[in-house]
Amino acid sequence: MSARKKPDSQVPAEESDLLLIRPLGAGQEVGRSCIMLEFKGKKIMLDCGIHPGLSGMDALPFVDLIEADEIDLLLISHFHLDHCGALPWFLQKTSFKGRCFMTHATKAIYRWLLSDYIKVSNIATEQMLYTEADLESSMDKIETINFHEEKDVFGIKFWAYNAGHVLGAAMFMIEIAGVKILYTGDFSRQEDRHLMAAEIPNVHPDVLITESTYGTHIHEKREERESRFTALVHDIVNRGGRCLIPVFALGRAQELLLILDEYWSQHPELHDIPIYYASSLAKKCMAVYQTYVNAMNDKIRRQIAINNPFVFRHISNLKGIDHFEDIGPCVVMASPGMMQSGLSRELFESWCTDSKNGVIIAGYCVEGTLAKTILSEPEEITTMSGQKLPLKMSVDYISFSAHTDYQQTSEFIRILKPPHVVLVHGEQNEMSRLKAALQREYEDDPSTKMELHNPRNTVAVELYFRGEKTAKVMGTLAMEKPRPGHKLSGILVKRNFNYHMLAACDLSKYTDMTMSQVVQRQSVHYSGALPVLRLLLSQVSGNVEMLEEKKMRVFQSVDITLDNKIVMLEWIATPVNDMYADAVLAAVMQAEILDTTPSFFPIQSKMDRMHFKECLIEMLQEMFGEDSVPKIFKGEKLYVTVDGKKANIDLLNLEVCCEEDEAFQQIVQTAVTKLYQSLAPPRTD
Amino acid sequence: MTSIIKLHAISGAMDESPPCYILQVDDFRILLDCGWDENFDQDFMKELRRYIHQIDAVLLSYPDPLHLGALPYLVGKCGLNCSIYATIPVYKMGQMFMYDLYQSRHNMEEFELFTLDDVDAAFDKIIQLKYNQSVPMKGKGYGLTVTPLPAGHMIGGTIWKIVKVGEEDIVYAVDFNHKKERHLNGSELERLQRPSLVITDAFNATYKQTRRRARDEKLMTNILQTLRSNGNVLITVDTAGRVLELAHMLDQLWRNKDSGLLAYSLALLNNVSYNVVEFAKSQIEWMSDKLMRTFEGARNNPFQFKHLQLCHSIAELSRVPSPKVVLASTPDMECGFSRELFLQWSSNPHNSIIITNRTSPGTLARQLIENGGNVPLNLEIRRRVRLEGAELEEYQRKERENKEKSQEKNEDLDMSDESEDEMDSLSSVAKGKHDLLVKAETKVQTGFFKSNKKQYPMFPFFEEKVKFDEYGEIIRPEDYKMVDSNPEAEDNKENVDLKEEEITAADITEVPTKCISVTKTVRVMAQVQYIDFEGRSDGESLQKILEQLHPRRLILVRGTPDSTHAMLNHCRQWNGVRVFAPSRGEVVDATTETYIYQVRLTDALVSALELKKGKEAELAWLDAQIVVRDMSKDAKPVTMDVDDIDKEEEEKGKMEIDQIYTLEPLPLNQVVGHQTAFINELKLSDFRQVLNKNSIPSEFSGGVLWCCNGTIALRRHEAGRVILEGCLSEDYYRVRELLYDQYAIV
Repeated sequence: MSARKKPDSQVPAEESDLLLIRPLGAGQEVGRSCIMLEFKGKKIMLDCGIHPGLSGMDALPFVDLIEADEIDLLLISHFHLDHCGALPWFLQKTSFKGRCFMTHATKAIYRWLLSDYIKVSNIATEQMLYTEADLESSMDKIETINFHEEKDVFGIKFWAYNAGHVLGAAMFMIEIAGVKILYTGDFSRQEDRHLMAAEIPNVHPDVLITESTYGTHIHEKREERESRFTALVHDIVNRGGRCLIPVFALGRAQELLLILDEYWSQHPELHDIPIYYASSLAKKCMAVYQTYVNAMNDKIRRQIAINNPFVFRHISNLKGIDHFEDIGPCVVMASPGMMQSGLSRELFESWCTDSKNGVIIAGYCVEGTLAKTILSEPEEITTMSGQKLPLKMSVDYISFSAHTDYQQTSEFIRILKPPHVVLVHGEQNEMSRLKAALQREYEDDPSTKMELHNPRNTVAVELYFRGEKTAKVMGTLAMEKPRPGHKLSGILVKRNFNYHMLAACDLSKYTDMTMSQVVQRQSVHYSGALPVLRLLLSQVSGNVEMLEEKKMRVFQSVDITLDNKIVMLEWIATPVNDMYADAVLAAVMQAEILDTTPSFFPIQSKMDRMHFKECLIEMLQEMFGEDSVPKIFKGEKLYVTVDGKKANIDLLNLEVCCEEDEAFQQIVQTAVTKLYQSLAPPRTD
Repeated sequence: MTSIIKLHAISGAMDESPPCYILQVDDFRILLDCGWDENFDQDFMKELRRYIHQIDAVLLSYPDPLHLGALPYLVGKCGLNCSIYATIPVYKMGQMFMYDLYQSRHNMEEFELFTLDDVDAAFDKIIQLKYNQSVPMKGKGYGLTVTPLPAGHMIGGTIWKIVKVGEEDIVYAVDFNHKKERHLNGSELERLQRPSLVITDAFNATYKQTRRRARDEKLMTNILQTLRSNGNVLITVDTAGRVLELAHMLDQLWRNKDSGLLAYSLALLNNVSYNVVEFAKSQIEWMSDKLMRTFEGARNNPFQFKHLQLCHSIAELSRVPSPKVVLASTPDMECGFSRELFLQWSSNPHNSIIITNRTSPGTLARQLIENGGNVPLNLEIRRRVRLEGAELEEYQRKERENKEKSQEKNEDLDMSDESEDEMDSLSSVAKGKHDLLVKAETKVQTGFFKSNKKQYPMFPFFEEKVKFDEYGEIIRPEDYKMVDSNPEAEDNKENVDLKEEEITAADITEVPTKCISVTKTVRVMAQVQYIDFEGRSDGESLQKILEQLHPRRLILVRGTPDSTHAMLNHCRQWNGVRVFAPSRGEVVDATTETYIYQVRLTDALVSALELKKGKEAELAWLDAQIVVRDMSKDAKPVTMDVDDIDKEEEEKGKMEIDQIYTLEPLPLNQVVGHQTAFINELKLSDFRQVLNKNSIPSEFSGGVLWCCNGTIALRRHEAGRVILEGCLSEDYYRVRELLYDQYAIV
């Protein structure tokens, strides 16, 4: 039945309008991206990375502040360590039991990248976050999503857009109860050799969570950058030098390979000069690059019909330094990108003393690494063994890092016009500069109201969305056109924040649910006689319908059959009928314990209409005075006059009507009804 | 508010002709598939041409000619000009299918129904989609969204969901396969709940399949026996669809060392085999979870074949050593290499011909399935041959004359030399204007990088770098080992043999040719077997899936009258389903009255709701009244898509109500009581588990669930009616309480 509770003072999380965005990592810093979204009782984690500068548990985002088992959904934007590095740990070592999604390419590379990370950090730290086995078993818990494919998990709708940046990088649009949140991850709006520019969603998000790595910087044009790069490489090899390009194994390296391969094929004179690419990881992942061409730009997709651009003609793989013959000019791409150790460091140390050689730094460098040091062009450098070497080789910096710059971010925001922008993944100063610049941009624009936030780690941004709820009225209920004052009653079906209102009979037509009926038959021993039972039943319910000789119906819903000392009650279950049945049962038992059979049975009490009329006149006289009612009247109509106001009473259907005074009518009406009820036998309908 | 829904079955209804339907939703007409049969039925095309300019969108389900064969003709010759939607694999593989079909036809006759340019033009129009990507329609179709869903059967295979927001959800699902296969996931059609209309085929309604294992074994034994008796096996497959399943399976079989197949050869023969395999390699994300996992885990691409050799012509194939197994297109053997091989091999009783697909009635493959081998067949053999002797001279003379004439003409007026152009273009079609035609594998790169081997100016010379440690020169044990293994292990058979000379047959059109035709009676001596690799759901599963889906309306198309009627009778048993089975050319009107409007819910109303948990949704009884509320009083309305649509529709005047009313709770004294509704359908077996959990003993006997030592009985009558019967006891109330818990009672 439709008894209603008072609205709770404590609003349940599901109905709350509060959207929380809390960075557990990457808040005013670069690295360990991990952002929590909470809205309508749903919890979503965006990325789960580690801090490349820290190790062990210190590198994790602040996940101790949340309950892992409450998280419904975990989305990984791309395969870089600072976005997925902590994932195996989070999936295997916490109580997380939600679902985890990433794109196909990301998943395929993630496996190998992290495996490489484990191998490298094995030496560095004892307190490993996870092992190869953990990584392997985490693969089963990761589900894949294609770009533009819409998924619905526990009422959270989400889909991915291409983000540029690296192969498989995705921006996620998340929709909960009509509120849309766009998380860009790392993105780039500049199309390059193999990746497309980040797409611009065709729906407007309410909240934009965007990266701010490059703050207010503006990148050099792609063509200029590329020609500067190729010219530099050409120059170095032309002067008989060796060209070293330290790169991170995956991501931007593939772009450089494409550039070099194309440049070499256009310059036959360079064919004698070998290009080496020294990375076992990259070799492993080339199959992934050759496979997921559908995640790349149109150019590559068209080219695949003719030949695979990732089958390089001028680039050879170098298994290790042992296989390398250092006999003349060459180009070597080697990891790691910041020359902390490894092959790129070794090559650098053996080449840095010759001024013919050159090194090209092609990516983002962290403070304290050799790559960052040599950018300040020191006289000497210190080798791994502590020896000092003069730095004679040329040092150049050309950034191929595919992060959005101020120009791109600003344009992106201008198109999307989100009411709220949350900045993450950026160093504190860069971030506040970007915030200030964006604020200035919209300062004088009254038509755009934009709130910018740059939360620190663990500090939540609180946004309120007055989620408006709408329901669709369907089927027979909707047959009548809606108009004000029209009353609707039916079943409201709520599914994933969608409401539908249906008539009960339409339920099975529009949903997969069906109406059921429960019939109850209860038997109880009764040794008495039928008339006794009937008497008592009439006392409880007033009206006893005799259906057959030994079958009666009371309350118009409960059938009672007496058969061979057993009374059987049968009714269709509803809360009310159950109550009636209980009353009937009580009556049956009462009849059972009656020792003596009552000697007389009062005849079925009948409403004495004449008596009622007399009583009514008497009562009205008592209430309104002797003269208010006519002494004699005929038929079933009566009127009562007080202060010149006349109220007509219809004795058959007990209706009172008085046009002049509503209050008077109400009083008379109540009196008449009460009197009738006290005189008439109990009604059951 | 009601949408008009009509389906015009142009082809593929009450018979086995290819599917082609026009679905009309209000004024918007969608062409669902446009297949063409193996022999290019012109009547059907005539019919379709009449409606061609009314079509607003085309949805394609599968890449084979059965589902999109008429597309190049429609676009190229009939001027079909609208958006065409298909998944990426359907786009790519579809193109391969059409190239192969064209080339196969071209190799044996003057084929002029469409050209390769038409194919390109048609496929350029395709908008490529991913599964579950919703696409809103524009213009007349405003408010309609189409979504492709995985269907199995072929890579990229699609079940289309066409949704008119809140009113209609139409599902077009033909030829789907619910079963998982080696390279594909099954469809998940049954997950869609209660669509308002389902359009599906009855092709397999009465068809029973052998179990997968038995089928695979049958294929395996057939192959082994034939190969061992020195015969060749011809497996007729399609160009780029089901062939992937077979190719993958056979390559895996060959890899198995115990299979005893290593000694024999395996080849894939069609005009575009290289491209098909390349595309398959780059579409792993569309394949089965299992393949994807192995790729993620081991990075070996399942379509990097080790044993399957790719061939593009009979000449190439002849270089593959016999005995061999050849997967050749087309499956119907009406044209293509499969027909040529059939003619070559069918006379030898040692050979075996395996047909994997029931093609249209009347095709050679179908005749063989129905009649078996060993029957004389009258076959028309058509071939394209080079002009020789007198004919050639004649041709050259004409050619010269033409040239001279055209030169004269050119001198006269530099204008119309169209006739020559046409002729030229015809003969140059296969010259390589289309890069996807036969590719000459000049140099095949095996690794990802340039091989380290250098080009030496005079003769190969390796300068060993001598390495030292404290003990002198490092001894490498390999130097003292017997030389046995070849270092380049990655080399695949796929690439062997194709390296050297250009294949002459490919360039057949560069020399003047003509088409000849002879009729010959062929006696099929070779073993002929039909092994089902169609990858469609069988009849029984079809019924089960449909029953689970429980659509409100159902249109059955494509299938023999027998199977359609069988299905029809079966479906009519379900209640609440309207079933239609149109015949060819008929228009079905599946419009139903639907009423719907939208109301806003106030916070007071929502927070007062007493939601009860039901199956997948929460329910509550609601008594409320509609009021008008000032929009501005509400806080900023959240931009919901629905709102947007409403707003725009308002402008268009399509919505009949010009504002959204608000629903407010009714004051308590005005609430009229209502009949309590018990929602859910109880299964006695489920309930028994509930009883067990609460340690109430129960047992089944004659469809009745007896609880508490037979004192309480539960019966289930016709759908949804449960009878609880028992003596008055404490247990009775306990059981009743548990029973009530199974329902959402509002």
